[in-house]
Amino acid sequence: MNTPTCEFDLRGQVCPSTLLTALREINLRQSELKERRIVLIFLTDNRHATVTVPQAVINMGLHCEVVKTDNTYQITVEGNND
Amino acid sequence: MWPVVLITLILGILSGFVMHRADFCMTGAFRDLFLFRHVKMLQALLLLVTATALASYLGRRYGFITDSPYPLFGAAAPTNVIGGILFGIGMVLCGSCVVGTLYRLGAGSKLAAVALFGLICGSALYAEIHPWWKSLVVTKPWRADIITLPQALHLPEEIFLVLLTAATCTIVYRRKAPASTARTFLPAGHMTPYQAALLLALIGIVSVMATGMPLGITTAYAKVAAQVEYLLWPAHVEATAFFQALPLDYVAPLGKVHLSGGAGPAFDGIAAIQYPLLIGITGGAAFSALLLNEWRLTPWPPRRQLLGAFIGGIIMALGSRITPGCNIWHLWGGLPIFALQSLLFLVGLLPGAWLGGLLLTRFVLTATVPMKGVAHEHSNL
Repeated sequence: MNTPTCEFDLRGQVCPSTLLTALREINLRQSELKERRIVLIFLTDNRHATVTVPQAVINMGLHCEVVKTDNTYQITVEGNND
Repeated sequence: MWPVVLITLILGILSGFVMHRADFCMTGAFRDLFLFRHVKMLQALLLLVTATALASYLGRRYGFITDSPYPLFGAAAPTNVIGGILFGIGMVLCGSCVVGTLYRLGAGSKLAAVALFGLICGSALYAEIHPWWKSLVVTKPWRADIITLPQALHLPEEIFLVLLTAATCTIVYRRKAPASTARTFLPAGHMTPYQAALLLALIGIVSVMATGMPLGITTAYAKVAAQVEYLLWPAHVEATAFFQALPLDYVAPLGKVHLSGGAGPAFDGIAAIQYPLLIGITGGAAFSALLLNEWRLTPWPPRRQLLGAFIGGIIMALGSRITPGCNIWHLWGGLPIFALQSLLFLVGLLPGAWLGGLLLTRFVLTATVPMKGVAHEHSNL
């Protein structure tokens, strides 16, 4: 199954742009995320955001995964499997 | 002078390395309290202050620290609060304080470079308004002979130390358990804020023992401004009162060398102490980022953020000159000895950070800021 993905490149942006953008986009697309109709990807170089974004996402009942690719962190947010 | 230069360079490198690994952001500590109700970094900062206070007390008691209160700490005045407010606004707009700007610059941030440029421009601007500012009544200290809270209240320092330690233990060890037990991600080479706080407290106290003063860098920004101006308009710099003053005049414990200096263009005592620190923090963070394969020049952020960082840098520089001193000077250096200037700076910093957060979310990080969003197919199989 393929799910549409929306990607946000937040590298180089002022702190806490990553967390604020992630919270805003998740709130805007909460129903789509819970129904697994969309996947959000945030690219960031903010090390602190790789801790705060997953914590916020997990507390919202969603699934979050962080992968380091080269010198960028990719935070993927999607609906839970259960 | 060279032993002092070497030790501050080493302390700078270590600070930059630790701050990059923990992303030990003092701006975030205050800003996130108001924006997200996050307190973890603030708790870490409290631990840093308390650990430094205990080490400083023991150091003074057993003769490892001779000058008390430290040189350059003066009597309290309303300017300490005003400067704190401005500093709080500026650091939130920049996304980092005077030190955070350096460690982020070391990791390749273009936004931090713009904030640094704002800091230098703001320092140059303050030099122009310095005579007018000093003529205002708010710059006059309340009691010239009182520097610390224990002196003001005629109480022994031990009482404040016990209260601070008890408050820190209560706050740090009774913090709420995480809402979720799910395993969360940690970035490469991660260092916890508490580990960083204890290491930075150690670095700060070594600075006091070696140089006689806590870490501080903002006069160096004014000095850079003076040196650039001197290349272009030497006569103007020589006629500017702020650049001619020499507030630093003491004997550093390490090597018993006499150091004097100020914000002027000369390579003096301020340059010997603060330039290596400035270079060290930037270099230490760059070294950490390179080891983690994370060093790279970041893409340019939206113009609104660049403008915010530049204006924030100017406001932060004005705040640091008006106070006088920056957040590391007051929070790592002054608060642990209960300096009234530092307590008042903190009183101003809190509403400043709140106001800065308001400006950041209303005018800088608005929903209209273009995000590089692209839609494509993603396989989740």
